[in-house]
Parts: sequence; structure tokens; C-alpha cells
Amino acid sequence: MSRYLLRRLAFAIVTLLAVVTVTFFLVRLAPGGPFDGERRLPPDVEANLRAAYDLDQPVVVQYGRYLARLARGDLGPSFRQKDFSVNELIAMGLPISVGIGLAALSLALLLGVAGGTFAGLSRDGPRDRMLVLGATLGLALPPIVVAPVLVLVFAVTLGWFPAGGYATAKHFVLPAVTLALPYAAAFMRLTRGSVAEVLQRPHVVTARAKGLGPLRLVTRHVLPSALMPVVSFLGPAAAALLAGSMVIEEVFSLPGLGRYFVQGALNRDYTLVTGAVIVYAALVLAFNLLVDLGYARLDPRIRHA
Amino acid sequence: MRLGLPLLVALVTMVAGAAELRIGNGGEPLTLDPHRYNLNLEEKILADLFEGLTAHDAEGHIVPGAAESWTTSVDGLTWTFRLRKDARWSDGEPVTAADFVFSFRRLLDPATAASLAYFLYAIEGAADVNAGRTPAEALAVRALDPHVLEIRLAAPFPFFAERLIYPTGYPVPAHVVQKLGDDWVKAGNMVTNGAFVLAEWQPQGFVRARKNPRFRDAANVRLDAVAYYPTADRSAAYNRYRSGELDIIGDFPPGEIAWLEREMPEHVHISPLLSIMYLVFNVAEPPFDDARVRRALSLAIDRQLITGRVLESGEVPSHSFVPPMVENYTSEVAPRTVDTEAARALLAEAGYGDENPLRITLRYIAGADSKKVQVAIAAMWSAIGVETALHHAELNAHFAELRQGNFQVAQAGWFGENNPEHYLELLMSTTGDVNYGRFANADVDALMAKAKQTAALEARLALLRQAEAAALEIDPVVPLYAVTIRSLVNPRITGWRTNARNTHPARYLDIQR
Amino acid sequence: MREALLGSPLARVCCAVLALVALAAVIGPWLSPWAFDAVDWDAIDVAPSAAHWFGTDGVGRDLLVRTLTGARVSIAIAIAATLVSCLIGIPWGATAGYLGGPTDMTMMRVVDGLYALPFILLVILLVVLFGRNIVLLFVALGAVSWLDLARIVRGQTLAAKNEAYVEAARAMGVGTPGILARHIVPNVMGPAMVYATLTVPGVIIAESFLSFLGLGVQEPQTSWGVLIADGAREMRSSPWQLIFPASMLAMTLFALSVLADRLRDALDVRRPSARQALRRA
Repeated sequence: MSRYLLRRLAFAIVTLLAVVTVTFFLVRLAPGGPFDGERRLPPDVEANLRAAYDLDQPVVVQYGRYLARLARGDLGPSFRQKDFSVNELIAMGLPISVGIGLAALSLALLLGVAGGTFAGLSRDGPRDRMLVLGATLGLALPPIVVAPVLVLVFAVTLGWFPAGGYATAKHFVLPAVTLALPYAAAFMRLTRGSVAEVLQRPHVVTARAKGLGPLRLVTRHVLPSALMPVVSFLGPAAAALLAGSMVIEEVFSLPGLGRYFVQGALNRDYTLVTGAVIVYAALVLAFNLLVDLGYARLDPRIRHA
Repeated sequence: MRLGLPLLVALVTMVAGAAELRIGNGGEPLTLDPHRYNLNLEEKILADLFEGLTAHDAEGHIVPGAAESWTTSVDGLTWTFRLRKDARWSDGEPVTAADFVFSFRRLLDPATAASLAYFLYAIEGAADVNAGRTPAEALAVRALDPHVLEIRLAAPFPFFAERLIYPTGYPVPAHVVQKLGDDWVKAGNMVTNGAFVLAEWQPQGFVRARKNPRFRDAANVRLDAVAYYPTADRSAAYNRYRSGELDIIGDFPPGEIAWLEREMPEHVHISPLLSIMYLVFNVAEPPFDDARVRRALSLAIDRQLITGRVLESGEVPSHSFVPPMVENYTSEVAPRTVDTEAARALLAEAGYGDENPLRITLRYIAGADSKKVQVAIAAMWSAIGVETALHHAELNAHFAELRQGNFQVAQAGWFGENNPEHYLELLMSTTGDVNYGRFANADVDALMAKAKQTAALEARLALLRQAEAAALEIDPVVPLYAVTIRSLVNPRITGWRTNARNTHPARYLDIQR
Repeated sequence: MREALLGSPLARVCCAVLALVALAAVIGPWLSPWAFDAVDWDAIDVAPSAAHWFGTDGVGRDLLVRTLTGARVSIAIAIAATLVSCLIGIPWGATAGYLGGPTDMTMMRVVDGLYALPFILLVILLVVLFGRNIVLLFVALGAVSWLDLARIVRGQTLAAKNEAYVEAARAMGVGTPGILARHIVPNVMGPAMVYATLTVPGVIIAESFLSFLGLGVQEPQTSWGVLIADGAREMRSSPWQLIFPASMLAMTLFALSVLADRLRDALDVRRPSARQALRRA
């Protein structure tokens, strides 16, 4: 178990290092320097600035220093948002993104597992067909279509929820629902498939034959095994969810990490964009690690492998 | 943790019944350092946080600010400002003439890298200090005593009092800036002398300012707090206004005008802005170093179609670079009325035609109105055989590229002053990087320089008219129209006065409870 | 395969929808009296009419021809990106599967690692750093969509590598690259190509997403994402600007995912299905 954990941890660190390296060199390959677009500075002032950001050093030295700073958790100053450092921006944006992401993930799990179980129990029946069709539709409607429609209906016309901003819990409802829908659909399809499969297994068939009630059958015998694929899928889902939150944050004017990333990208704020990529990757890797650990707990085969 | 704070603030605000004004401010400020600012949306926040020597009243008139009065010498060169004795910074320190001396020097210090430093080039020695040719002490701004400030100008400038209302002219607290360096602008550190003081800034979320109890006129400031939201997307802003989350927004989709005027007319404020929208050519590089090409493109544009059909809120077409609304000034520019025949002929003369079409890139600011206008212009140009690629960027990135001279032809706008020079300075070779196209013409420079030496207003304006006509004769820019401001203001807000500068200091506003 | 595509009424309807969309995208713009960038000054922002079946946009451009041109761009990017993903994914999977052992382990470990990354960020980074152009867009999208494909191809290769003809080739002294190129890849090509089509909806969504954020194709060129982003901004006063492109996109994606399901069932490829679905966002 602990060896498994160590291996996974090493793997995550190597991956993260690869992301940092690729991002660092990509940014430096880009045409034009980071101060392009600023006012043309007097030569000595620009020289000072370049020195302050290590830009007067060879790339290898810059890379080394960047890694050293990163190891201390310093992502540098924001090139555009002059009054803030990247760390400050991320510290402000991250809780919002993570909050919405977790809310959406929980909602998606709840809806997906419930719907999927329901559908799997009556596979190929009319209810199942309806649900499957609904899930396919849910996957086919990207958030860029769903979000404006939800705003129009629930915020503007009905006035149930705010159209943007993030002052209260109410502000998070529409964004979380929009973000959750496609994932709920995906979870539902996964659950449905594996519930239907588990129902065929001998111990379930036996339990059923013994006249176990449907609720106990599902909670005791079906779901524990049927949820395995769902759990293993949480990792990639979280990665995709974070990416999806960018659109959501844009549409609902939420000052999360995704919005900083997109605005940073549009304004060519290289340090902010690099920092956001690194934080995103670290977050996703950490989440994957957690999921793997959980999975290892659930699945005895991995524990001994 | 950060999430909790605004929640708490919102809760406390509700419980206490405090009056917080929520403004959709059109975009995210990049800095709240008044000397480093660049954008009008930053100017709006800064005007509530700071007070310059002069200020705007609720209707956009120039009134005394931190200076209670001033005198001008007979030759128009020496301006003496008497500061208010009761003026305090938000930390209780007095606002002194020394703060102003420090601030003017800081603005013009090349290390500050202030894009708009040239606003105050009228001050003797300013241009040299800003270029690093002379030390900051050479600037002709002196504290005669703690409450008397003397500014000597290089040449007479009758509009100087108006020029001082920009953040470039704001005082910054010397005692704080010297101690904290660049960190002085952070919420918690920032000390200001205006009606409000910075409380919290969540980038892409909001800027929140609370009432400054030490403001000299605090007794007459009604609001407890102002929050500025970065509503770059106007339809999102409109949705938030309609669902009651914003009290004021400065733009909304024009397609809504008819419905709004029918259903909620008391919210709608549509008024012309003292402004000019224009296209600027990069004259430093081909193909637009050729005046014939520039004129051809100018002759292809039908301003009536743009203002009458594409835009829908009564924008005023303009052939002059100085906005038609500027008082006491009648432009003498020869209008470029649509003439596609002449345009094609000019292009042919310059070597372009069906065989060898002119291919250009037009840069514009991301946003619905400007996109529509540029698409329309590209279509008009395609009618004379010009192939236009469009390239959009966010406001900040757009102007950053322009200041770099990294464009062929681009959309730009300028506004705010009832003074023709404010606009014509953009066509002077000495102006620096907001002369985006790097236009430099000796005749225009000479006429402008002569105008700036002339104290008599009529003679000065006559020279400015000549300079404008001379410049536009060779088409460095294509003036398009004066912008119309479409605001929605909740009727609960009192003190809102529509004006051509679109300036609405929060100290004059209130919320009816 | 045939059965999967035409076996049920729903599948047949979906095939018809896709064929119709593709046909309209290819020939529609030629048949239309309007060019995609032509302005009708007398019909700015008008609702659907006899002259403009889908109405016009805020500058008076015909929305039907723009929706179809947008379909061309979106679909072209999707196909190009899919080809790019084949160029990476097929050799990767075939090599890993054929060589087996530690090489296979390492190569598939890399795939696992990449699964964990939010790729859209890298695409945005690339687009920002190197400018917004269509070639970069599909190369970048393709370069991040090859993972599923690599897995499938590896699985197929594992099955193929013990076939008699491969053994024979090996016995005749054909080198590894030769066997891969001449025997393995051609044999896994069929299922790989079918599977590659499953990449298409993901790429379409990713493109629309980038365009929505203002990072996609530039005016006057257009795509579904650009049209939807514009339409969403005007949806109260001019709902047709959102409805037509959004329903075209939704219809296409729906048809694609129904068919993808059938294909996947036919090929009996399991897990990646949902993964595929999720990586879109």
C-alpha cells in the first residue's frame, strides 16, 4: 500500500515537473518579450526590470531560478495586474473555482448515480430509454448553450437566482448546475452500465431470488461494486470540470481561477497564465492521487499488487 | 477564507442598512495607482478615491477640488493654488503642497513609466524631466508654504484647470508612498484624500471603496460604500442590472432601447458623450505611409450608414477629429464624403487594383458595438477592392499593441475634455505612444506649438483649427462618430445628472431608503 | 458496423441529420445568394424572413450562410484535428502494443499521466503565445485528443501481433518498423478510424469553447462557437441569432454522440466512452 502510494506520488511529481518545464519554455518561445505592450521604457529602467525578473540571464539559469522560486511557492509578479502578485491572484480565485467545482461534482454524482441506478435497474424499459436519451442530450448541449439559456430563464425572467457575481450561496446555484449537467449525464451512463452488469452477477441474482427488497438490494449488493468505475472516473472528471469552470466563470462573472486564466491569456499576462496552468495541474494531480487512494481502499486487488 | 469576507461584508451591509452603491464599471482596472492609470474605467474609480486641485461637480463642470482657489499671472504662465487648510489624508495627515510637489515629480519620473505623463507637459520642465534629460527637481512646481502651490507653465494654457482633473494630476501621500513603495496601492495600505477610500479589491470580482470619514466634505457624502464591478460584457451587465444586482450600468445592448423606454423609462439615460471614435493608421509603415492609400480608405467609409443603421442610439457622425460637441470651436476640416470612384482611383495610383489587391489587418476592441462597426467598415472597404482581415483583442491588450505601434489600422477613441487641444495633441510628434500611428508632420507640429504659445483664446483656437485641417488633409486618422452613452440608473439613486463628460462622482449620489 | 449505424430508427435519423448538415455545410454557401461576409444594409438585425431564412446578424449579414460557413469551419477543424490525433495516437499505440514489456509500460504510463491534465489550458496557452490561426488551432486540438486512440490501437495491436502473418514476417527477418508499418498499422486501421470519429464531437465542443472565449477564429470568418457567443449576447432582442446556430450545434453533437454510442457498443470498447464525453468540456 505505502509502496503503491509512493510510486503514485513520484509519478505525480514527475508529471507536474514536466508541465512546469513545458509551460516555462513555451512561454519563452513566444514571439516578443513579456514587457512588450508596456510603454517603451527608458533603457536603464527596462534593464532594471529585466534584471528584477531574471530576464538578463541565460534561459537555463532563468529556469533554475524559476524552479527554486516555485519550490518556495512563489509564482512571481503579474505582468498586467500591476498591483498584485500571481500568488495573491490565485489565492483569491482558487477558493471560488474549487467551491464551484466541488458543488458541481457533488451534484453531478448525486444526479448521475441516482439516475443511473434507476435506469440500470429497468434496463431497456421505457424509463431507461427516456433517461438515456436525456443523458445523451445533456452531453450534447455544451455549457456555452446551456448557461445563457439558464440565465435568461431563471435569473432574468423568473428572478429566482442572481445572473452573476458571487456574494451569497444563491449566486453559486446556476453556475454549479450548468457545470454539473454534462457530468451528471456521464456519471449516469457509467452507473447504468455497471449496475446492469452487476445485476447479472451470481450473488446478486441469489440475493434477489431470496426476496431481498429492491432498496436493500441496491444499497447492499449492487452499488458497492457498481460504483467502482464511477470512482475511477472521478479523476479525469475533475480535470475536465476545472476546465469547464472557465466558461462558467466567464458567463457568470465569477472571479475564479478560470477567469483569471482566460483574462490573463487575453491580456498576455504570461506569469499569471503560467502560474494558473501549474496550479491547475497540481490540483488535478492531487485529486487523482486521492481518487487512486480511495480506489485502492475499495479494491483489494490493487492493495496487494 | 477570501470567500468568507465578502459574504460577511454583504451581511453586515444588509443588517446595518448601510448604503452601498453597486456600479457596473465596464471592465477590470489594471492599476489603481493614479499616476500609472491608462483607462477611463480606472479614472472613474480614482475620481472617487482622490481629489486633484480641481474636480468635477455632479454635472461635469470644473470646480475647486483640493485647491479652494487659484490665481493666474497676467502672462498666463504662473498658476498659484491655495490649498484647503482642513484637507486631510484618510490616515489623518494633512494634505500639503509638498504632497503635490512629490506627486507631480513622481508622475514625470521616467521610472514611473506613466503612459499619460504628457497630460502635464504644459508645466515648465515637464517634458525634459519625463525624458530623463533633467532631474525631477527641475520641474517648475514649488510649495511656497504648506498650503500654497505654485506651478509655472512653459507656455500659456487656458485649459490648465481642466487638465488638472485627471488622475495624472492627483496627489499621492508622500509619507506612505516613500515608506511602502509600490505596495502603497494595495487595499489596506492605500491612503487617499477623496470622498472614499479603497476597502477591498478582488480582481475580476469587484473594487469596493468605503466612505472616507476624514474627507473634507464628508458631512455631505451620503453613501457608505461604492462597489465597482468589472462588467466587460454588456449583456451580462444588463442581466445583472435587470435582476437587481447592479444599481448603475454604463452600457447595455442597444436592441433593448425600445423595450426599456416603453417598460421602464425612468431607468434609461441616453446622452451624447464628448468624444471621438476614429480609425488610426500606422503611418510609420507601408502601406499606410502612403497618404493616397489612407485617403482612399477614408473616402470609402459611409459614416451615415454606421451611425444610422449599424449603431442604433443616435451617435453623431463626425468628419472632424475634435468632437463636434466641443464648445467655441468649429472645425474647418474638409469632409471626406463617400466617393468610391475617387477611392479606387487613388488606390490604383498607389499601385493597388484587382490584380494586386490591398490586404490589411484592422484591429479592434472586443465588444459588440465595435465589432459591428469594424465589420461594416471592412465591408465598405471590400467595395473598393480592399481585403480586410479583422483582429480583435481585449481593451487592455488592444491599446498595449497600439502604444507599441504594432498594428496597421486600428480602432481608437478619445474623450473627456471641452478643449480641442486634448484631441489634437494626439497628432503631435512629441506626444509619445498615444500618438499610436506615429504621425509626425512638421507643419502640424509648428501650428500646434504656435497655438500653445498663444494666450489669446480666439487666436489660439484659430491656430488649432488650422492645425487640425492641415493634419486631416493627409488623413492620419479617420474620424468616425461621437459616442452615445446608454446608462441605466435605478430610480432609487438620487443625484445623477446626465452630462457630456459622463462623469458622476459618487460623493454626489445617494440611495433612497 | 452497418448494423450499428443503421440498425435502429434513431440511428438512421441521426445518420440522416449528419449527412444533411454535412451536405448543407459543403454546398449551402455556394447556393446562397449572400456571401458569408456580405452586408445587407437594408436588413440589419432582422428576424427570419423570405430573403434571410435565419434572419441577419447585427451588421446585416445573412445568418443562414454564416451558420453554414461556421459549420464548415467547425467541422473542418474537427476533421483536421482528428487526423492529427491519428498521426500521433496510432503509431504510439501500435509501438507500445507491439514492443510490449517495459516500453509498453512507460508509453502507457505517459498516456495515463496526460489523462490527468486539463488540456484545454495548454491549447489556450498555445493559441495565446503563437497567435490565433486555424492551423495552430487544429494542430493543438489534435495534439491533445490522441490519448483514447492510442489505447484502442494498443489493444488491437496486442491482438494482432500474434497473428500468423506477423509471425511469418518476423521469421523472414522484417524489422520492427517494417512490421509496424506494413502489417500492424494497416490491420488496426479499420477500428482505429472508426474510433477516431468519436473524437470529432469533442473537438467541435472544444473549438466552440475557445471561440466563445474569444480565442478562436477571427472575424469575418466564423464558426459555431463564435456565432453562439454573439447570439448569446443578443438573445433577448434577437433570439434567432442564438437559436439557429445553437440548435445546429446541439443537433449535430446529439447525432454524433448517439452514433458514437452505437459504434462503441459494436466495437465493445468500454471505459473511454464517458471519458471521451467528459474531455470535451
